[in-house]
Amino acid sequence: MMSTLSRLESTLPCRSSQIGQLYNLFGHNEEPFPGSVYISGGPSVGKSIVVSRVLEEVGVKHAVINMIECYTSKILYETILSKLCGLVDTKCENMMDFIDHLQRNRSEIHRSVLIIDKADKLRTMDFNIFPGFLKLKELTGGIHISVIFLSQIILQKFYSKTNIVEPIQITFPQYNKDELLEILTLDIDYARNLIINNAKGGGFEFDVDFYRNYLNVFLSVFYRNCRDLTELRYIARSNFLNYCQPIISKENTISDSLALWRKVAPTLKQALQNLYLRVSTVTLPQSLELPFYAKYLLIAAYLASYNPAKDDKRLFMKYHGKKTKTLRDVKKKSKVSEQLNTVLGPKPFSFDRLLAIFYSIVEDKVGFNNNLLVQVSSLVELQLLSSLSDSSSLDGAKYKCNVNFDFIQTVCKMVGFNIRKYLSDFSHM
Amino acid sequence: MKNLSDKNVLNLRKFLKNNILNNSDFVGHEDERQQVFDLLHRTITSGESNSALLIGPRASGKTTLVDNVLRDLQPYFSSDAILVKLHGLIHTDDRIALKSITAQMNLENAVDGKVFGSFADNLTFLLACLKSGERGVSKSIIFIIEEFDLFCSHHNQTLLYNLFDVSQSAQTPICVLGITCRLDVIELLEKRVKSRFSHRQIFLFLGNDNENHLDQRLARLQKYFLVPIQQSVDIAPSFKKQWNSSVHTLLKDRNFKSLMQRLIDLDLSERSLKNILLLVVSELNNDNNKLAYDTFLRQVELFERDETVQVLQDLSVLELCLIITMKHHCEIYDNQPMNFEMVFSRYLKFANANSNIQTVERPVIMKAFEQIENLELISPLTTGNSTVQKEYQLFKLLVLPHQITEAVKKITGLPTEVTQYANSSLV
Repeated sequence: MMSTLSRLESTLPCRSSQIGQLYNLFGHNEEPFPGSVYISGGPSVGKSIVVSRVLEEVGVKHAVINMIECYTSKILYETILSKLCGLVDTKCENMMDFIDHLQRNRSEIHRSVLIIDKADKLRTMDFNIFPGFLKLKELTGGIHISVIFLSQIILQKFYSKTNIVEPIQITFPQYNKDELLEILTLDIDYARNLIINNAKGGGFEFDVDFYRNYLNVFLSVFYRNCRDLTELRYIARSNFLNYCQPIISKENTISDSLALWRKVAPTLKQALQNLYLRVSTVTLPQSLELPFYAKYLLIAAYLASYNPAKDDKRLFMKYHGKKTKTLRDVKKKSKVSEQLNTVLGPKPFSFDRLLAIFYSIVEDKVGFNNNLLVQVSSLVELQLLSSLSDSSSLDGAKYKCNVNFDFIQTVCKMVGFNIRKYLSDFSHM
Repeated sequence: MKNLSDKNVLNLRKFLKNNILNNSDFVGHEDERQQVFDLLHRTITSGESNSALLIGPRASGKTTLVDNVLRDLQPYFSSDAILVKLHGLIHTDDRIALKSITAQMNLENAVDGKVFGSFADNLTFLLACLKSGERGVSKSIIFIIEEFDLFCSHHNQTLLYNLFDVSQSAQTPICVLGITCRLDVIELLEKRVKSRFSHRQIFLFLGNDNENHLDQRLARLQKYFLVPIQQSVDIAPSFKKQWNSSVHTLLKDRNFKSLMQRLIDLDLSERSLKNILLLVVSELNNDNNKLAYDTFLRQVELFERDETVQVLQDLSVLELCLIITMKHHCEIYDNQPMNFEMVFSRYLKFANANSNIQTVERPVIMKAFEQIENLELISPLTTGNSTVQKEYQLFKLLVLPHQITEAVKKITGLPTEVTQYANSSLV
């Protein structure tokens, strides 16, 4: 009995409490199962693996259903039937047929467990599915079957509907720093292979402490911003070679951890900027090669979206006359940062205004023709602008600019245009 | 010797779990039970048609009561009566319900001969079957309709209308017993349906009798936990005796009593009690083969725990900072909605004021914001509106300030500046 538990705990580190709870509920032969169990916990805390490994280890028949695959109730029922009872080509449209099929295969599914992953998707399906699965044992007339729900969302978020019976709940907390360190250390074989395969002529052996040192350095940078194990492991793997580079090139010895830390710190900080993203973000505006005038049109659209229309005269005309400051202007200047246009998002503008701004910011003479106008619609196609009026009205079409400040700044740099001069609300940036 | 006690504990666990999970004994509410019994009994024996609703909160024992009554009436169902059970979660529309009724009344043979195309044909046939019967001659039919409120949302309430209609006229004797947890269920019925209903309602309340809840519950616990001496459970007698005496000691314990009172004050329902008991029993093993107060205490504390605080504790420091920023925004702007830009600019003020914070790029913070959205700690005001860029989409915060304070207190190793930030929005 204990050997099963200890075997599980050794392969699934830092989850011994959860393994114990599951084992207590499902592990003993001949004991009745609870009707339903709801397991919640953040991303990559080992919910699915722990549940399926525990059930495998104690030899309980189970089927894992992922709700992302089963997006309609029909697919859901049929998948369950095929996985649990081996009924491959059965038609099953509704809950009644489903229960009927289960009852007909009563002996086959005796003492089996249904695992529903991403259970939060159940909320958007038919109203009867979640409450129905919660009391599946009761509905099937006492078939010995249990349902485990896995979700990132806490059970409270399901309470909007009635008819719900309370399941037993198990929480998987996020790993803390020490636990993450322990789990990431298990990755050492991968790291060793990495060194052997990639270090040209400079391969070296290292022990666990060396790898732990690296992970300590690594976590000190990343732990604050991310606790997601999958993401951390990916970054830890991809940066390990950088950490070892000084040793491979024989600049430092393996024991000189302080020097190694100093050398890898900038790389890690760089990697922090790409956390979750995995690619550098600046590439998008550069990779999108727009025609010259289309870039100016986009800039004009941005200016039109983020500047109030009555500032246009002051911003774009050469001789706009003197403006006397009124009390209202002063008050407007002092508006709080949460009400600035930069924060509230783009405002719609008319096509005429776009063209007017475009002609005033473009330095050379541009002919007003189809080739120019068609670029507006291609910007809409690229979703850089969005059209707010329906396509049937030709007059007074309204648009909105969909790009953010960083994007437009890159575009401006490419055409050599200083956009800050023309923005009224961006003085703080 | 060790093996023997091993086996004893295993058998004890099995016995207790069975006792807790598969117990269908019905206790208390004698009057209500008698009422239901009489109702069904009269329909079966003297052919009276009737309709009634059994109303009571969730997990108050409605289904157990009906099952209990039906078990007593079991001898009749072979010869004098037919039982038809419908469930609102299974039979989601009248068409499916009708199909199920036909099957449960063993009318499939009769249906097979004719080809029914439509719902209407099927219903006409069924009604004809019901109407052709006479009082006193034909078998009576008992309809048990669980989650009755869900049937009220079916199109035109056709099924309910017809069932109640038959129950009002002198045709085949039928009894319609609806079970629901909604007190306002009568209001859900359409006028023509309501007028055919007998308005017989049986209420089943948890706090019905003026007895002491605590005594009741302790008696219940005793019933769940005591191992009968004479019954053939494969446990050594000495172990049995030891176990039973430990149960008695626990139930007399003053701390335990106040713990149970605490639970009663929170939740009267049988199901939450059963969940807790099951978890307690499943923690029994060789070393821990007595019921202990501590185990109960732990489970009750788990039951009382605020899950949202746990979710907050699982967040990374960056995500928690964003949540705190949102809290400050809500306080300053009197719960007005916010978008990413507002949160971002406020967060930047905090990050810039503390030089030891490693700044991260905007996309990373955006990702953290989306993670918070995925955990449903914030929810968008409008859904499915794709014309707004995600930076400017408005959100409202679903976490209460005191939950944040509690989570901040509980997290160990949180940087000091974050703790300070949680307490005051001034940076």
